[in-house]
Amino acid sequence: METLQYNYYDILEVSPFCAQHEVTTAYERAKTTYSGDNPAIYTIFTDEEAREMLNMIEEAFLVLGNKMLRALYDEKLGTGKTKAHDVSFETLQAQSKIVFKESPKRSVSTQIEYEVDAQIENQLNSISDWSGEELKKAREYKKLSLEKLSAITKVTPFYLNALEEMNPEHLPALVFVRGYVGQVAKVLGLKEKVVVESYMSKYKVKIGKK
Amino acid sequence: MAAEIWAITSGKGGVGKTFFTSSLGITLAKLNQKVLIIDFDKTGANIHTHLGCKLSETNLRQFFYEEKPLSELILNTNIPKLFHVQGFWDAWGSPEPTFEATQRLIFEARNLNFDFVLFDLGTGVDSTYLNIFHAADERILLAQSEPTCIEKTYRFFENYICFSLTDSKIIQSVEEVQNDLREFRRKQNKGNFSFRDFLKEKYNLNGNIFNQYHRTPIRLVINSSRSRLDQDLGYSIKSVCIKYFDIEIDYLGYIDYDNAVWHSIKEKVQVLIAKPFTHLSGQFLTIARQLSSHNFQSNLFKEVI
Repeated sequence: METLQYNYYDILEVSPFCAQHEVTTAYERAKTTYSGDNPAIYTIFTDEEAREMLNMIEEAFLVLGNKMLRALYDEKLGTGKTKAHDVSFETLQAQSKIVFKESPKRSVSTQIEYEVDAQIENQLNSISDWSGEELKKAREYKKLSLEKLSAITKVTPFYLNALEEMNPEHLPALVFVRGYVGQVAKVLGLKEKVVVESYMSKYKVKIGKK
Repeated sequence: MAAEIWAITSGKGGVGKTFFTSSLGITLAKLNQKVLIIDFDKTGANIHTHLGCKLSETNLRQFFYEEKPLSELILNTNIPKLFHVQGFWDAWGSPEPTFEATQRLIFEARNLNFDFVLFDLGTGVDSTYLNIFHAADERILLAQSEPTCIEKTYRFFENYICFSLTDSKIIQSVEEVQNDLREFRRKQNKGNFSFRDFLKEKYNLNGNIFNQYHRTPIRLVINSSRSRLDQDLGYSIKSVCIKYFDIEIDYLGYIDYDNAVWHSIKEKVQVLIAKPFTHLSGQFLTIARQLSSHNFQSNLFKEVI
């Protein structure tokens, strides 16, 4: 009898059939009841007991507040083979990783294949004054189509094209342009800082902000 | 047709029992129900003041000490369909009402030709009050948000549990339950379990021994609420009762603090009569609706048609 454990639904005082938002409301109510100096626990629970209660409430919400863990928990209790006190947040979490495998992230290969040409390589390294045209050259040297570059940088081909044409009518606000240029430079293996600074100063001149 | 008996009490004095009872009575009467309020405060009854009626020598004293039937003690009020029986204001030094007489009062009240009989009980854990409270169809417990009042509310709960467990012969004597409660309190610190689990373990009981509380739960009302915190307090008390005793109570609602209340008591006109179209009367309407049975709603429907 020392530590008789209730199931998580008892702790939050909700029905096992309740909707997800009711769990949240119950949790918030329980938290205000057992934390701080709520007059409702006065002369019934000591501070220590209230703290213990709060720990139980937090654990219950970690499970029931999460749809996936709640489903697993229901399944475990539903079979009748498992008792509430054999289940904890940690075990459930460990099992959830077995049942619901983490989906592999959709990755795009960032490997760029191209023929190394020492002359062009040198040329690119020596450029300190970047514009859209140079970016295009670098991209073509690395054998990247606009679509491929877009898949890697997550910037639409339309913007990438506009970037190379330095066409302000098709480009968003300055901060975004700056970000795009940085990303493109990174992917193309260029000196990011130099590219961004020079490109942006040129671009600003073009749109008449400088 | 048997009348439904509602009993209203509180753990601490001065939380507004009489105000609540008279307001609830007026609300039910407005809903076209025939209502009788019985003033059962032994320490000075004053429901007549709230209702703006005069003191009368026709009161409960005659029922208990002169053997008059309850039906002859019913007095009118200024409000249609609302009647009242005055309490013992002139029974100085009389002996306590006996258990048999109290049972007879409840029996007679049930057989009156009324829809609802409201008992305005006094404060605290007097056995006569507990008897009536226990016998009622609806048990309403009034509280306010101060710690002093909440403390006394829990003491009332414990006393009522002692009373009803011995009354239903689950445990033989009051002393035994008292010892159990004391033992439970000491042991509770070592692990979380409720009073019900404790009793089940100790007496090897099966089934729901607190069934009597769950069938029609005790209804909690927070009176003169002044903030959101006060409103939520009812939920907190409910949770504590479940965790500590494993008794389900029902949080019926809260009544907002309203300056018009004490003003109207001074004027001796009930606030719901003086100011009938206020937020306050809306809150009472909600509570009356929530409490009233299915039967009552169908009656009301007929009246409307």
